[in-house]
Amino acid sequence: MSTGKRLYHYALFYKQPIILGLIFLTIAVMADLTGPFIAKRIIDEHITAGSIDIKPITMLLLLFFGLTIVTAIFRYFMFIYLQIGANRVVQKLRNDVFQHIQTLPIQYFDNLPAGKVVARVTNDTEAIRNLYVQVLSQFATSIISIIGVYVALFILNVKMAAMALFVIPIVYVWMIGYRKYASKYNHVVRTKIADLNAMLNESIQGISIIQAFKREKQMEREFEEMNEEHYRYQKKLLILDSATSFNLVTVLRIIMFMLFIWYFGNQSMEPNTIISAGMLYAFVDYTTRLFNPITGIVNQFSQLERSLVAGSRVFKLLDEQGEKVKDQRIDRYEGNVEFQNVSFAYKENDYVLKNLNFVANKGETVALVGHTGSGKSSIMNLLFRFYDPSKGKILIDGTDITTVPRQTIRDHMGIVLQDPYLFSGTIESNVSLSDPSISREKVEAALEAVGGERVLKNLEKGLDEPVIEKGSTLSSGQRQLVSFARALAFDPAILILDEATSNIDTETEEIIQHAMDVLKKGRTTFIIAHRLSTIKNADRILVLDRGEIVESGTHDELLLLQGRYEQMYKLQAGVSQHA
Amino acid sequence: MFSVLFKLKWFFKDHWKRYTVAVGLLIIASAFEVLPPWLVGQSIDLITMGKMTPELLMQYLVYFVGIIIIGYILNFVWQYQLFGGSISIERILRTKLNRKFLNMTPTFYEKNRTGDLMARATNDLNAVATTAGFGIMTLVDSTMYMAALIIAMGTIISWKLTLVAILPIPILAFIMQYLGKIIHEKYMIAQDSFGDLNDRVLESIAGVRVIRAYVQERADEKKFADMSEEVYQKNMVVERIDALFGPITKVGTGISYVIALGYGAYLVSRGEMTVGNLITFNVYLGMAVWPMFAIGELINVMQRGNASLDRVQETLSYEQDVKDPTAPVQLKEATSIGFEEVGFQYPLSQVKNLQNIRVNLQKGQTLGIVGKTGSGKTTFMKQLLKEYPIGTGQLTIGDIAISEQTKDQVLEWIGYVPQDHVLFSRTIRQNILFGKEDATEEELEEAIRLAHFQQDLMNLPMGLQTLVGEKGVSLSGGQKQRVSIARALIKNPEILLLDDSLSAVDAKTEAKIIENIQNERSGKTTIITTHRLSGIQHADHIIVLDEGLMVEEGTHEELLEQNGWYKEQFDRQQLEGVSS
Repeated sequence: MSTGKRLYHYALFYKQPIILGLIFLTIAVMADLTGPFIAKRIIDEHITAGSIDIKPITMLLLLFFGLTIVTAIFRYFMFIYLQIGANRVVQKLRNDVFQHIQTLPIQYFDNLPAGKVVARVTNDTEAIRNLYVQVLSQFATSIISIIGVYVALFILNVKMAAMALFVIPIVYVWMIGYRKYASKYNHVVRTKIADLNAMLNESIQGISIIQAFKREKQMEREFEEMNEEHYRYQKKLLILDSATSFNLVTVLRIIMFMLFIWYFGNQSMEPNTIISAGMLYAFVDYTTRLFNPITGIVNQFSQLERSLVAGSRVFKLLDEQGEKVKDQRIDRYEGNVEFQNVSFAYKENDYVLKNLNFVANKGETVALVGHTGSGKSSIMNLLFRFYDPSKGKILIDGTDITTVPRQTIRDHMGIVLQDPYLFSGTIESNVSLSDPSISREKVEAALEAVGGERVLKNLEKGLDEPVIEKGSTLSSGQRQLVSFARALAFDPAILILDEATSNIDTETEEIIQHAMDVLKKGRTTFIIAHRLSTIKNADRILVLDRGEIVESGTHDELLLLQGRYEQMYKLQAGVSQHA
Repeated sequence: MFSVLFKLKWFFKDHWKRYTVAVGLLIIASAFEVLPPWLVGQSIDLITMGKMTPELLMQYLVYFVGIIIIGYILNFVWQYQLFGGSISIERILRTKLNRKFLNMTPTFYEKNRTGDLMARATNDLNAVATTAGFGIMTLVDSTMYMAALIIAMGTIISWKLTLVAILPIPILAFIMQYLGKIIHEKYMIAQDSFGDLNDRVLESIAGVRVIRAYVQERADEKKFADMSEEVYQKNMVVERIDALFGPITKVGTGISYVIALGYGAYLVSRGEMTVGNLITFNVYLGMAVWPMFAIGELINVMQRGNASLDRVQETLSYEQDVKDPTAPVQLKEATSIGFEEVGFQYPLSQVKNLQNIRVNLQKGQTLGIVGKTGSGKTTFMKQLLKEYPIGTGQLTIGDIAISEQTKDQVLEWIGYVPQDHVLFSRTIRQNILFGKEDATEEELEEAIRLAHFQQDLMNLPMGLQTLVGEKGVSLSGGQKQRVSIARALIKNPEILLLDDSLSAVDAKTEAKIIENIQNERSGKTTIITTHRLSGIQHADHIIVLDEGLMVEEGTHEELLEQNGWYKEQFDRQQLEGVSS
């Protein structure tokens, strides 16, 4: 379905206010267009040189003014109703897009910068809002006005009105032609300005590099090329606009005047014909009214183009295959995890996990060790069903997790990410995620248990200390603790800890170490380890290499094995000896 | 209010021909506009009085054709010239701003947030451009065009009628101006809530793993729906006021027409004017609405343009923080680097960031710098980049004080790998060539090899031609760091600065890169800061910084013997990092 059609279908969700608005619009146009008829009557029937009928003229003028008020009132409500319709449509579209995002596989976010996804939900839908509130309401107003004017002209004089129809094909051809070129130029102008600003932004961000490598001239040259190109297309657009739009409308209006003088001039020269002055007045009045709506339409073209592009992007996102968010919940499971011949590839046949088999029983701690790219994080992705295995099965308490909805399985899992993500809000809302099942007492208890008190005590408002975007006012240690407390508060059966690699001072590290011990109690825990000290007392250590488990056992067992684990240990020692 | 026009004098001077033509023709065109309605009125009188003859009719039609042709040309030329000026100033100012940005040092960027600077280069630039085009047009329309209309209405038709009928229009324009102000306020409120919505979505996307892991999808949807409802409500507040514009204009002009018709009818009956005059007058009345509104527009445009131009000018006139010496010393070779009691404080900092730094580095040596986050490691590096005004003490390269050398000369020797890996939205190849524009294929390959990046390159969809950044693929931190290292190495610089540049690569890769650098850069100077001590164990000299002071120094072995922070850190790291 084309973007236009889909936007139309969306509009149907709120057809009531829109149709009401259009009805009001039609009434307003009709009331408005009766004005010249009244003037015609005053001129033709009540004014003659030397005498004046005060009373009927006053009555007619009052009627004229009354109709103006009616027009004004209906226009007001027309506007409001069309706006309600348009804004509601966009609100629905926005909510739909956001809901759809929740159903998309995590992959989608891994491949697209966050900024782009956000732009779909907000900026692009805002462009569509402009389509409904500006473009379409202008189109509707213009078309109804033009039809109204022609109806009035036909009532006045059929022949003349028929001649006045010449404007329609001209305007049509003009619009097609204008739109063709203008949309091309506009497109270039828009993309160039976006590129220019992006480049400026990037230059500011990377200024120290540009200067350190003395690339100012090169950057300036590249910038100037784009600036020049932008300028050239703006000029082209300007020539097009100067030659057509407003200027062309003026020409058409005068041609219309000529036509009308020529027609009535000739008529008046025939014997025994009297042309009514009132009718001429009305004709002139209507003619001038005919052209404003036309310029109105032309002015909306560039916005129309922009909105349609934005629309196609939004619909493309909506077409992405998603998986519905399920509300089904199950009781807390034991947390016996088993990987059975699990293989996994992000890209076809490029396996990052190869035939993994291992068991983690309730309450055990399993550590995953390996170089970057060995598959540690992929295991976490599979367990959480951020991705699903390409081959093999993952069982929790004997159930294949792919047979249960994602949300259901995740309900009893907790995660602590390497770089803990905090939302804007307060410390409390970050621990509880505003989940109603987690009381303030629970939050306090969780924070206390992980030793958060010691770190949070110097925050003025304690639990209610505001947290800004990404928690950037907190230290990484503080963020980590909040995220530990979060995991504890949700009391999951299975916990995954992606250990922080960033440098944390010794004291914080001790606290975090303690927090991890607290957290591990009574649940199956997976640790993606970066520090040897945390691995030592794990029930099982899995050494991964290129997606395969090459060794497994406790710390002591692995050292005795004298394999890769021990080698890695030696390598570290070797480096220090070598120096 | 019009001061903005004086501030733009330099531009108008440069473009005086354009503006003379544009404004001149615009005025003529304005005068021209009053002709068609007048001719229409005249011919209507002839028609209704039955005085129209074929000759007269022909004559009128010829007039109209003339008006069409002349008017079209006039309108085309002034529009093209006037708005061409608007486009020109936009381009000129953009060039100037870009040049300014490229030449500013970090102090400037610490004082001005990126968002602010971008706003100047976009919104403010547009406002100034609007002033130079649309602003001038409204200026002429609200004065000359209005005058032309009033004179035409008064002289051709009737002064009395003109004064009475036109009265409601300025009142109307005034009300509109007032409403415009309110709507602007409400609009800003609506924009704020839209901005909040935007932030909210960004958080949902950035934190998507947390939301999904804790099954908060529904709660998140609910929050979003609440916020989008708020955006809706705020928008409707704006629209409710916006909805008043059309109707109020309708009523205001309606009053004018009633007066014109009523009083006009009276004048016609008294024989003081003809029906044709009345028609002409009504058309003029319709035309007079715009110039009245143009006054309000003019005030807005000029005020906005003035404020914007001030902001742009403020940026453009910012004085360079680091100036080159007037009589620079030229130096052929960077033999040694010497820090003599060097102290430094960032312009916006409260405390001294470096104190009493004493280091002497001979050509070919490697210096390692370690210390806690915030201890001054990066600040030490920055001293050599001449990004800030010189601090206290003496910093020399090749035994000549750095202050006596040009920034260009100093940077010529340096290859810099920053802590945060800055790559540009272009191909990997272009990013590496950023270090040396005219590098040969061999040099490029060598740099990639030294930075240990070949393997990764093979896994990238288009190899060297892979686009990185916003429009392309996103590289991992470690990959970015290695591109950034290759960029510095391709320059084969006399002095290589590695500012914690290997933090995101694993120990094995780090060891390889360090080894490569050691082997290939014999006879050249290298300075490395790091958290991971394995990266500097081979250094000729190591200093330990704490709060800007040198607390320990020596070789790796010497430092271990000192049993201080370095030793403690070393022991701790022995246990770590096996896996990372």
